[in-house]
Amino acid sequence: MSESEFTVEAFRDFLVEGRIMGSRCKGCGAISLPPRPICTQCGGQDLEWVELEGKGTVRAYTVIHVPLTRMRDRCPYACGVVEFDEGPRISGLILGVSEDEEMAVGSRVEVEFVKEGERTALYFRLV
Amino acid sequence: MRLSRGVAVVGAGMTRFHHKLHAGKTSRELFVEAAREAAGSVDSGCELGDVEALFVGNFSSDAFEHQAHTAPLMADWLGLCPRAATRVEDACASSGVAVNMGALAIASGAYDVVLVGGVEKMRNLTTEGVTDTLAMAADDIYEVSAGFTFPGLYASLATAHFARYGSSWEQLAAIAIKNHHNGALNPKAHFQSEIMETARRRGERRGMVFSDEMEFLRSSLNPVIAYPLRLFDCCPVSDGAAVVILSAAEVSKRFTDTPVYISGLGQASDAMSLHDRADLTTLRATRVAAEQAYGMAGVSADDIDVADVHDCFTIAEVMATEDLGFFPRGEGGRAAVEGRTALDGDRPVNPDGGLKAKGHPVGATGAAMTYEMFLQLRGEAGRHQVEGAEVGLTHNVGASGGTVAVQVYGR
Repeated sequence: MSESEFTVEAFRDFLVEGRIMGSRCKGCGAISLPPRPICTQCGGQDLEWVELEGKGTVRAYTVIHVPLTRMRDRCPYACGVVEFDEGPRISGLILGVSEDEEMAVGSRVEVEFVKEGERTALYFRLV
Repeated sequence: MRLSRGVAVVGAGMTRFHHKLHAGKTSRELFVEAAREAAGSVDSGCELGDVEALFVGNFSSDAFEHQAHTAPLMADWLGLCPRAATRVEDACASSGVAVNMGALAIASGAYDVVLVGGVEKMRNLTTEGVTDTLAMAADDIYEVSAGFTFPGLYASLATAHFARYGSSWEQLAAIAIKNHHNGALNPKAHFQSEIMETARRRGERRGMVFSDEMEFLRSSLNPVIAYPLRLFDCCPVSDGAAVVILSAAEVSKRFTDTPVYISGLGQASDAMSLHDRADLTTLRATRVAAEQAYGMAGVSADDIDVADVHDCFTIAEVMATEDLGFFPRGEGGRAAVEGRTALDGDRPVNPDGGLKAKGHPVGATGAAMTYEMFLQLRGEAGRHQVEGAEVGLTHNVGASGGTVAVQVYGR
């Protein structure tokens, strides 16, 4: 699918193209997201790129009321751990949530790519 | 695993942990104060010069005070150069890991007497500055970028725990009430008042009256920091230092007739990011480190008379008491509500007030836990003494569980 190394930069470059790319171990089949050079399940180092569809389920979340400095203007905002339907999980900001009980563990979300300067951020939105 | 040589705690000291008291001081003065108290606590006398090496836990004097290379600085200000001085940084577990490093250095035969301490001077920064700095202990690229703060990470663990076990915020509140009660009995604690006392004082200023703790904790005076965690679910931001003096067991009688032995120790790591962990209702590193420490000491969870666990947030105490094997999974919160972890309960946890009330100058916390066990196992903890404590445990977590250090103590 691609010859690039499994780096942070490669992951970010794919996001700019609107793609969520992880690494899949050719040995045990485990998917790492974000991509990694070594499979944490079996230690395998023979990996390939795999694209995820972008739909998932919230496994844990919070609504932040005391923010990081750079997030001051967004507050309150929700973020959480999302499990993609293909299995792997990632942390993400969940857009459009400002009430504490507007969502729950188990809520369905899908990816939303948001352009921020040179970069594209990977966010989620409740569906 | 067994240590090839026994290790004892022969002295311990700490500053009071506080947000204002140390305003005019820097890390070096706090560390010197704790070290002098530790040396002074040694029954048969100990000169700082008896120390052969230092291990200093410190999370981020770099960001808090624009000062790196903390360990030789402390050796210098204690007049201990040219002795080896090593900084240990494992986020909030820095000095819990330093205690292990000091014990292993003695067990190796390299040294007979080692000084282990921790220090953090956090209050130079604003709340937002502290929030930004603490977040550096999470995965900056893949976790902090999603907007997570430290309270936010533990809040997420709480939502996962609530969803799995039906545990609740009301159970977390019981832990806050218990730890503030214990803190009120501890002269070194950051907060030395019952929550009801705080409710009365803060209520008066705003013309509000609360009939009990829960009414106050549900009110606007206890704002949400990161849902479902409120202000009183979070430890305060404190300045402070703690120091313990370790010696080889075979020379400990030179210092005291009543040393406290480190009978077991353990340490483990886990994925930095919550999203890379299979189970978000437990800290795997706690379970692994505890298993090592119990095995080395030849004890089980049921043998622990008193424990200091890492309650940076109330949910962390719930998870710790489950992961350490004190209660079944999902039962930690209920056990707190039932009073089982109170000073007079059957499983006393955080008799010193825990991080919640004693305070949490990040790098000092692990050493301060060892300080507490030194008092508890010698029957010297005063009003927060657990009667007849003979076997103790300390549990120090780095960040959201990427590092955990555990020690078991005996007399």
